[in-house]
Amino acid sequence: MSSRKMMTGAAVLAAAALALSACGAPNSKPDAAKPAADLSKLATTTPRGTEAVDHVAWNLPYEPLSLDPMIGYNYAENTVTANLCESLMRLTPELSIEPGLAESVTSPDDTTLVYKIRAGVTFWDGSPLTADDVAFSLSRQTGDAVAYFSDYFRNVKSVKATGDREVTVKLSRPDVLFEQGMAMAAGAIVQKKAAEAAGKAFGTPEGKLQCTGPFSLAKWTPGKSIELTKNPKYWDSKLVPLVKDLSFSFIADESTAVNALRSGDIDGQYFYLPPAGISQLEHSDKVTLTHGKSLVFWTLAATSESGPFANPLVREALSLAIDRNALAKVVFQDAAIPAPTLVGPDYWGYEKDAFAKAHSEFSTAPNIEKAKQLLAEAGPQEGSIVLGVQGSSAVHEQTANLFQAAGAALGLKVETKVIPVEQFGNLYFDPAARKGIDGFFTTYYGNFADPLDVYQIFRAGGNSNYINWNEASDVLNKAVSAKDTKERAKLLVEAQKKVTEANPRIPLAYEPNTVVQNKRISGATASFSYLYYPWAATIGGVK
Amino acid sequence: MLLVLLVTSFIVFGMMYLAPGSPLAFVLGPRGGTPEQVAAVTAQYHFDDPFFVRYFRWLGDIFQGNLGSSIVYRQDVTALMSGRIGTTAALVSLSAVLIAVVGVGSGMLAALKSRWVDTIISTIAAIGLSTPVFVIGVALISVFAVGLGWFPTFGVGSGGLDTLVHLILPAIALAVASAAYLARITKAAVNEERTREHVQTAKVRGLAPGVIVRRHVLRNALIPITTVMGLTVATLIAGAVVVENVFALDGLGSLLVRAILQRDFAVVQAVILVLVVAFVVVNAVVDFLYTVIDPRIALGSRQ
Repeated sequence: MSSRKMMTGAAVLAAAALALSACGAPNSKPDAAKPAADLSKLATTTPRGTEAVDHVAWNLPYEPLSLDPMIGYNYAENTVTANLCESLMRLTPELSIEPGLAESVTSPDDTTLVYKIRAGVTFWDGSPLTADDVAFSLSRQTGDAVAYFSDYFRNVKSVKATGDREVTVKLSRPDVLFEQGMAMAAGAIVQKKAAEAAGKAFGTPEGKLQCTGPFSLAKWTPGKSIELTKNPKYWDSKLVPLVKDLSFSFIADESTAVNALRSGDIDGQYFYLPPAGISQLEHSDKVTLTHGKSLVFWTLAATSESGPFANPLVREALSLAIDRNALAKVVFQDAAIPAPTLVGPDYWGYEKDAFAKAHSEFSTAPNIEKAKQLLAEAGPQEGSIVLGVQGSSAVHEQTANLFQAAGAALGLKVETKVIPVEQFGNLYFDPAARKGIDGFFTTYYGNFADPLDVYQIFRAGGNSNYINWNEASDVLNKAVSAKDTKERAKLLVEAQKKVTEANPRIPLAYEPNTVVQNKRISGATASFSYLYYPWAATIGGVK
Repeated sequence: MLLVLLVTSFIVFGMMYLAPGSPLAFVLGPRGGTPEQVAAVTAQYHFDDPFFVRYFRWLGDIFQGNLGSSIVYRQDVTALMSGRIGTTAALVSLSAVLIAVVGVGSGMLAALKSRWVDTIISTIAAIGLSTPVFVIGVALISVFAVGLGWFPTFGVGSGGLDTLVHLILPAIALAVASAAYLARITKAAVNEERTREHVQTAKVRGLAPGVIVRRHVLRNALIPITTVMGLTVATLIAGAVVVENVFALDGLGSLLVRAILQRDFAVVQAVILVLVVAFVVVNAVVDFLYTVIDPRIALGSRQ
């Protein structure tokens, strides 16, 4: 998820992409003519359409690599699977969690979770959902299996079908991440029979997927389209689709996608970053554009254990010198919110007041004086700070420019190193790829509304804890096992303070979700939950 | 041809091997994996094996008719390519027709008509040659797809006539530069032939101008034109990548570029294989056309 376009946006030739975005975006935007997005009131849904629709054409920023929910962990993959495969719990458009394929979950003791499987749910082929399918779908992600969500299964000891409609999960210690993870793709249930028959091909165009969602997979033509059709036997009467056929195209070029939206060739698309042509869409009379609540944020991850950037004082000074308001305004074209801490208000799924109070103690206003003071305290700095920048991304380059300017103002040498988009992903797990850079820019998101899902990366031994910054590790480990939300909030506020002061990742901006729909339809989920919630089930025609 | 294939595949494999980066990111996902998972995947896909072991394993598979499977897409390469070959073939043939008709036609007009026709065509050709393909593509979409609504903005359509309509704009975008180039070649070739002795003789003999152009000028000028045409078409197959991207077409070019950047060895090798075969076939066709144009040239001769 992390880096935008990290996977396939790819095929874009650097030069072409740059030039295209340059000519797609008019440079001067008269402020008066532009309907300023009110980012303080972000939407969760769009008005539900009421009419039946034969066909809706949606676009994805690139072709999914697989539709198996276990290895689908990125924008395009999850946009599709959210309508196909349902999870035990369900992440609602309001970012809260409600029962999904499990009608209830009980916890006889702190380390046991008993999921009661919903009756009357069938797979697309008509066979009933059983406890065996559920146990299979979860256990295949435990241990050393190559599953993208191993973080959530770290404390899982066993998963067993303990009744016709009952699955029991034993944990080695209480784990609130696992519990909430069952509301996203980690908890997605696939049919055991189909998965075993397809083997490694499961979820590819060759290996037939079998799930329970409101849409079923009709056809996947590699390179061209993925076709979904309405599941007539869907169990949840509230979410029976009005759309008969839903097809996905894979237009990677943003300017072409914007043009296709304007001409009506495609009916909608989700953008996790404002497209360069956002003003063309705002002014188009063909489409509506909605900004929704989101868990995605823009950050600089520190990666060096030596050199100036390894010094927390230097990181804090640089962070203080960054003008986040200018960043949101210029780099994100006003479609982002300046971020004083890594997690923003949309993460506060519980104990809102406590989190809000803690959040208000940090400011986004630049403070050069204090930054200089911190640097004086840190002493003279040898060498330069090298920041990894993703090739052919304007947001990356422009943010890096801001950092270079801030560095110059403080007397720090900040350099950039451009890394091609296809190799950028290696930074996330390959220490060798991170050699020679002191930090890199990335988007990141937690998967549900709990600040813990972001801060948990700083637990000792975490895959993404690049500089082994462990000062908040104990508190965070306690929070993972804190089932009481009040207690957890208290621990997280403490951890947040440590993280924000030490800056193992420098917070930059919260990125609202952007959904564009043709005016003939309405109802797509507007919030971040489109990655895990059947967002197309509520789409209908507009009279 | 086998030798050509062997050498290119070896070179490409070698270059991919030496270039930094690995497809691990695509297997493990964007949040990476534990060191144990990295080790398991490395072993599973033999990323650590020495170069020659990997190359000969691949070569052995090819001889058994197995193109391998894509690490990134977890699919057979054959399946991955089969759909895309059709798109590329349709796009390239359509462009080739446009290039031939427009290029040769306007080149002849420029050579044979009045001076100002020549000036106009030469100017247009210069503009066509110097405008980047993606600019032409975006301009075509803005005007004819979004503005006038005559054509769809992207994709290949659902086959048959629909595909033809979908491919017209991309084919034009792809053809512009090559057509301009061919127009210049045609003009030069025709002008050169016109000053040749046998044409002068024909003129002196008082033959009709039309006959002179058809029999004596054009026929001889066709040799360089065909050569350039053949080379152009062959490079279009891989060179269509920018157009494919702008119009969101699923062709071989974009598959190749993506696979190279993702270090998806099997896909790169397979696409290269197809490209080399296509190149050889196009050259064979050109050779055959030579013999039709000029019976003095025999197939297999060195002339």
